[in-house]
Amino acid sequence: MKASSKRLIIDTATAWLYVGLFDGDTCILEHYEKGQNNHSVTLMPTIERLFKEAGWTIDAIDAFVVGIGPGSYTGVRIGVVVAKMFAWTTGKPLFKVSSLALIASGTSRDGLVMPVMDARRGNAFMALYEKRGNRLSLVQEERHGALAPFKDEHPDASPLEQAKPDLGLLLDSGLLVAVDSIHHLAPVYLRKTEAERNLDDGR
Amino acid sequence: MIVLSVESSCDETSVAVARDGKEILSNVVLSQISLHQAFGGVVPEIASREHVKGVTVVFEQAIQEAGIKPQDIDLVAVTQGPGLIGSLLVGINAAKAFAFAHGIPITGVHHIAGHIYANQIEDDMLFPLVALVVSGGHTELILMRDHYRFEKLGETQDDAVGEAYDKVARVLGLGYPGGPIIDKLAVEGTTRYPMPHIKTAGKYDFSYSGLKSHVINTVNTMKMKKETVDPKDMAASFQEAAVRHLIEQSKNAIEDHQAKMFIIAGGVAANKALRKAVFDTFKAVKVSVPPFKYCTDNAAMMAIAAHYQYQTKQRTDDMALNGASRLILS
Ligand SMILES: [Zn+2]
Repeated sequence: MKASSKRLIIDTATAWLYVGLFDGDTCILEHYEKGQNNHSVTLMPTIERLFKEAGWTIDAIDAFVVGIGPGSYTGVRIGVVVAKMFAWTTGKPLFKVSSLALIASGTSRDGLVMPVMDARRGNAFMALYEKRGNRLSLVQEERHGALAPFKDEHPDASPLEQAKPDLGLLLDSGLLVAVDSIHHLAPVYLRKTEAERNLDDGR
Repeated sequence: MIVLSVESSCDETSVAVARDGKEILSNVVLSQISLHQAFGGVVPEIASREHVKGVTVVFEQAIQEAGIKPQDIDLVAVTQGPGLIGSLLVGINAAKAFAFAHGIPITGVHHIAGHIYANQIEDDMLFPLVALVVSGGHTELILMRDHYRFEKLGETQDDAVGEAYDKVARVLGLGYPGGPIIDKLAVEGTTRYPMPHIKTAGKYDFSYSGLKSHVINTVNTMKMKKETVDPKDMAASFQEAAVRHLIEQSKNAIEDHQAKMFIIAGGVAANKALRKAVFDTFKAVKVSVPPFKYCTDNAAMMAIAAHYQYQTKQRTDDMALNGASRLILS
């Protein structure tokens, strides 16, 4: 992506709705607010409002960026579907980024950072990143499982449950991945559905 | 007026393009049925995941087949409900993003209005009209005095007729979905198993739990006594009773409201025994059944309903449009 390109970035994987308009790594406008499990209602009006306030139209966008999870299944689908549709119907490139990387990018200090999302029953979606200056790098792949042992394994990492994403840091760190086939993009759920797990278990 | 419509209320991802509420320019349906068969029914989370995978491909095909450009579209329509909420939200957000990207107005449409308007594709509606809506989730009689005016006369007090078909098919070990299987098998059977006469409080209401339980109990009792159940005869006996109940209540509605037209709508409208019974019974009114391909969920029917909804109400929605698993037809 060229440095001056205009980007729309969307993440709906957690309770916090994130929409940002960027020119290069300069944030023009952004919205970061806790929702009530209603991203389906709020995402599109938020995008509409930001475009209006910035005086941009969707045709001016050079690339779309979307958080693809893990996170809330219903939530992450909203952002992924909207981003897929925008990219496909405008013919512009689409970049994907881990929703856990988005959280990690919001860390305020250098060192190991452990983005964590609650996945109920003592389980979490989690990963491990390291921030040094303007670089964020992946240390441990994202996973679903019990949080306590993961924390015990990495006592020097600071858990981070929620933070406003920093697109500049993600860009500098090369954590945005170009999507080759927009049609085939799907969220990262990290888990099969309960019905599939039961079938696998022969129940 | 060109309408692009999106339907994703259950396990079909569909996009259609229609002109002037009549001409279907394209109707692409991506069915997930084979994925859900292993589970004996639709798994909502799997359905939602599949909709995300398929939705832009289906849009692309529908627009290409229709031979139009996005700028040619006057209205984007999308099924708002009722249906599986996770599935609905995928179609709704896809439709909103598409409409926003091209500056096209958007409108949410009731799924059952779509099933009813599937009949307008080949026939023209005559009013007053009585519609029998029959599917896995619905069994109801609706009166229409004009386009896009719906009055519910009655509905099932318990199970939907399609649900009863699925349960009966399951107890007979016939697989899923039960409707088409029983319909096919019944042709080869005789109605030798006695079935209860269904009674309801209202003369336009339906009840299928008694009939369903009767079949399940009969089959289980026979199995216990080591008697063989002939699935063909059981299918024929059940189907005869199920269809007779639909016909009797429909007859009440047609006569009381001096209907000029009677239509059937919904997945069970594909049932051959029901189609034959309505043509055999209702000679004094014009009878319309939807073409087979428009009986199951599809976006073409939603485009036709959207056209008439817009013509009647001149109303559209905004970007806050949301799905509803339950929604009143109005
Ligand atoms: Zn339906």
